[in-house]
Amino acid sequence: MAAPSAAGLGWRLRAWLPRIMPVRWNRYNPSYLEPEVKKESYQKPLEELTEEEREQRELKAVRPIKAAPPTLSSSVFSDPMISKFTNMMMKSGNKVLARSLMSQTLEAIKRKQLEKYHKAPENEKETIECNPYVIFHQALKNCQPIIGLTNITKGGKTYQVPVPLTDNRKRFLAMKWLITECRENKHRRTMMPEKLSQELLLAFNNEGPVIKKKHVLHKMAEANRAYAHFRWW
Amino acid sequence: QLDHGCALHTAARGGLSSVSPQEVPAERPRAVFHTSESDPAKHTEQHEGRLYDIPLEEVKAVFPHGLPYRFQQQIKTFNEARVMVRRPALELLAYLKGSNLAHPAVRYVIYGERGTGKTMTLCHVVHYCSRQGWLVLHIPDAHLWVKNCKELLQSSYNKDRLDQPLQASVWLKNFKTSNEHFLREIKTQKKYTWGKRESTEEGRPLGEVVEQGLARVRSASDAVGVVLREIKQQSHRGSFRLLVAVDGVNALWGRTTLRKEDKSPVSPEELTLVHNLRKMVRNDWSGGAIVTTLSQTGSLFQPSSAYTPHKLLGREGFDALDPFVPIPVANYSPREFESCYGYYLERKWLQHEKAHTEDGKAELQFLSGSNPRQLDRLAGPL
Repeated sequence: MAAPSAAGLGWRLRAWLPRIMPVRWNRYNPSYLEPEVKKESYQKPLEELTEEEREQRELKAVRPIKAAPPTLSSSVFSDPMISKFTNMMMKSGNKVLARSLMSQTLEAIKRKQLEKYHKAPENEKETIECNPYVIFHQALKNCQPIIGLTNITKGGKTYQVPVPLTDNRKRFLAMKWLITECRENKHRRTMMPEKLSQELLLAFNNEGPVIKKKHVLHKMAEANRAYAHFRWW
Repeated sequence: QLDHGCALHTAARGGLSSVSPQEVPAERPRAVFHTSESDPAKHTEQHEGRLYDIPLEEVKAVFPHGLPYRFQQQIKTFNEARVMVRRPALELLAYLKGSNLAHPAVRYVIYGERGTGKTMTLCHVVHYCSRQGWLVLHIPDAHLWVKNCKELLQSSYNKDRLDQPLQASVWLKNFKTSNEHFLREIKTQKKYTWGKRESTEEGRPLGEVVEQGLARVRSASDAVGVVLREIKQQSHRGSFRLLVAVDGVNALWGRTTLRKEDKSPVSPEELTLVHNLRKMVRNDWSGGAIVTTLSQTGSLFQPSSAYTPHKLLGREGFDALDPFVPIPVANYSPREFESCYGYYLERKWLQHEKAHTEDGKAELQFLSGSNPRQLDRLAGPL
């Protein structure tokens, strides 16, 4: 008696589950709006808003809003690039550790630069950059490749074809190279923040192994210029 | 909505009314939160919330050990040592100035929640006493003596006790750096035999005992015991005033994580260093004061919410330290927070562009809860 009723119950329940189960992404009804976190947008008086912004405000009164992800923060100190980098450094979901490593790295960069600043003579003080965020952003920008290579198979052989990269792909490659470099080529006893701060400072000055890797990629792309017409997009 | 510059002016107006003209130096208009008075003896309520400078040579001489690690890093980065004058420290200094040295030593226990500035208050008091010429017996962290000890030797003096040669020798080295001239003046009153061929005669300066402890590391803990005993016996004479400064005094009466060779746990009184220090912290001597700090951070088998003397010392410790003067240390007041924030801005420690705005300051105050340690940790990456 138990077996047929259990089977019938399962069949009836399965009917109203969605066809694809969302795993690691979420599936909202299209009517849901994105959450607005910045304080400045709520402090603007009504007159300053443009037409679209007024429409958005009215929509917000009626439409439901998606849940804000935990990485979205209204803090004035939050930076999306730093959050992305922290997520890439994270291993097995240990965000606490990744974030503390990131903050220790920024502090290490600041300390090194401040020591250099205080020891430098007056005329050189302006050239020394002490803001760790500026250094981080500039270093990442310096590490981004302009052109990438992809494998295209033609006539049985695979060729490395030079191909333009999107902004997201460039950022991803820069961050990935930095993290792999710091994880693999360091002494067993060196801490990650120390090595990362070293690499970031080198990349800021356009030196170091990551910049070299970028240049190697550029040279390969230049060498394979002949195959560029294999690309069809 | 006050601008950052305006805030300084209003604070200046409020501060200047109580400050006498010679406090603010005319040549260099340093901000209101600094004070040029670097002698702790002259600190009064006027200086509350301000930062005073300790010259770096003095830091090396007075604090070979004892400053918190993050503060040492800060000294290295900013190239100066600035300590904030806060109310608990002023209270303690007033008590010390008015204390009668003929009476038995009064015990002061500095307690408070985590990261509120207990160790820095202790360091302020130690600086004052060393400026006044007291003999300072500063134990930087008593918790280091009851955990993570690689070598435990059986004591030759008393079969039941255990020696810790490494910790004792490190402490003796630092003690020597801070109190050189006293070690030449104080003489031993008894003959001490260290082994078959080594002994220290009566009437030799205490420096020799310290050298003996440093040279023969096996007898370092006994050397520490001898030093403590001699100093305690001679303090009532009045030739010197003694300050016993112990950070993390709750370690002396707690449990240890050390084990003997047969894996049985070691209780604190079986350690020579702890045994001698307990005798030092008793108030059966006169001619000085005992200033101690409770600390949950390095403590063993204590919950993280415990900060009161009753919880951290336990019954045994409380009975041993009873009667004491409790000195609570709280988080930063709004004025002290302004002062700390202004100092970080001036030293270019807060580099983030938003940190200079009112929003950033409000966020820092909220996130740290005006707790000194949290503010320091938050301001690190910014």
